[in-house]
Amino acid sequence: MNGLERILAARAFQPVDRLPLLPQVFGHAAVARGVDLARYLNDGAELARCQAAAREAYDSDGVFALLDVNVETEALGSRLRYPTGNYPVVETYVLEHPDGVGALRLPDPRRAGRMPVALEAARLLRAHLGDRALVAGCVVGPMTLACQLLGAEKTLFAAMDEPAAFERLLEFATDVALAFGTAQVEAGAHLCVVFDPSASPAVVPAAFFREFLVPRQRRLGLGLKAAGALAHWLHIAGPVEPILPLYPGCGVDIANLDYCVDPVRARALVPELCFEGNVRPLAFVDSGPEAILQACRPLLDLGPGFILSSGCEIPLEARPECIRALAQARDQGSRP
Amino acid sequence: MYEPAQVASSGGPPTDVALDAALVACLMEGDSQGALAEARRLKGTQASGERRVLQALERAMDGMSEKCTTEQFNLLEIMLAGRAATAVAHDLFPQDDVPGTKGTVVIATPEGDVHDLGKNLTRMVLAAKGFHVVDCGKDCPLPVMIRAVAQERAFALLVSGLISPMVVMVRQLRPLLREQGLAHVRVLAGGAALKQCTAEVLNVDYVASDAFDGARDLEAFLRERP
Repeated sequence: MNGLERILAARAFQPVDRLPLLPQVFGHAAVARGVDLARYLNDGAELARCQAAAREAYDSDGVFALLDVNVETEALGSRLRYPTGNYPVVETYVLEHPDGVGALRLPDPRRAGRMPVALEAARLLRAHLGDRALVAGCVVGPMTLACQLLGAEKTLFAAMDEPAAFERLLEFATDVALAFGTAQVEAGAHLCVVFDPSASPAVVPAAFFREFLVPRQRRLGLGLKAAGALAHWLHIAGPVEPILPLYPGCGVDIANLDYCVDPVRARALVPELCFEGNVRPLAFVDSGPEAILQACRPLLDLGPGFILSSGCEIPLEARPECIRALAQARDQGSRP
Repeated sequence: MYEPAQVASSGGPPTDVALDAALVACLMEGDSQGALAEARRLKGTQASGERRVLQALERAMDGMSEKCTTEQFNLLEIMLAGRAATAVAHDLFPQDDVPGTKGTVVIATPEGDVHDLGKNLTRMVLAAKGFHVVDCGKDCPLPVMIRAVAQERAFALLVSGLISPMVVMVRQLRPLLREQGLAHVRVLAGGAALKQCTAEVLNVDYVASDAFDGARDLEAFLRERP
């Protein structure tokens, strides 16, 4: 089997020749090759080279044509700052007030901000890998994009104080994610990971997720699949157990599990969902390969429908030997 | 329509106790307008009204803290309660000179991290619980924090970090405090990235799982301090 076949088999709970492995290596791919992060985030060809190299170095079943979580808000007019050696941060949000969303127009992913960089990376990686490995694109989910357009505090208060304006903001954010994700799939991504950390139960209650976010996630997931995405992959960090039973209603096929979630309990809650996770991300910085091997052991026996990975992004400053230990653990677990 | 979790109220006649309970309930529901109205009623009932409003603020935060231990913690509901508590405190002390009866703490998000939601929430919780909180803001250089600790004679320094590079920053705090003769200052860390680490790895006294956990640690520290 090749990498893509393994990931798709896991999604369908079909047998695999070995446990699928997909470490969440994003900007670390640049750091590991000594490439300036700002260049990686602004040059699709450079990103594609670094991701292809990372796939080989870590024996991963896929790559991520993924820049950072501020691509969409920047394309819509937020001003970013690029700290040396780190991801950009929003300096000025494009919206002062949720009502301002009425004046925003959907961005053209072929032209707006760094969206073309992501499309170029997806195109090049797909051309390089074909269907031998998964090429994953990325969009930020509706709740997170709303927070990135208006600021998290204002967005959360708007949800309570001005629900109608908040819902218009969420609808717009969903439209943006759909447009950008569709363009990535058309460029070559097999699917788009939907990152929505602000939808975590650590931030908003499960009832909030059910009312405001399930319908938008469903629309986004169905829309991306209609555009050709092979699966709806939802990535929400933190303690997601209270909302996991709502994932099937969102049309989710693959769900990320952060390090704080017990995969066995998650499986019991939603047996039909494929999970990926969930080694503690900072363990790749503050521990050694032995600790990673140990952390992987309980994950090797979860059976079909599981992809070995980190619980969230592997930090930029991760130790490469710790990431390589994931493949070592997988190989040990795959022994008859 | 989504509504924040409701808190049961006594529904009895407006006795002093009922007034206190009504204020606590409004605060926990995140109802700023209701909390303001109840606080003004309570303050107007007797000379000790102001003190009782402050007590109600603390009781509301204790109530929210109990909720957190039942795995129901989420930022939104705590933020709403914190906003209501801030509104009441500001109404009571328009100059924002709320008496910090439990002493002074400094709080900040270290340089390189601009995520300040958790820090702001912790500031609101600690203020409502009777601490005087000096907020050094986000993206804050370490020397600025240390200077604030010295100038304000703070007994604790709290740092919040959402991204992994903050680990390296936080490790430097204790040596920097020691250099300034501030080794006695308690150092707490929290936030999504930092709470993945042990206190030993971060070289701090305590890693708080949330704002209330941090408040409990500070209160325990004050109780046990000679």
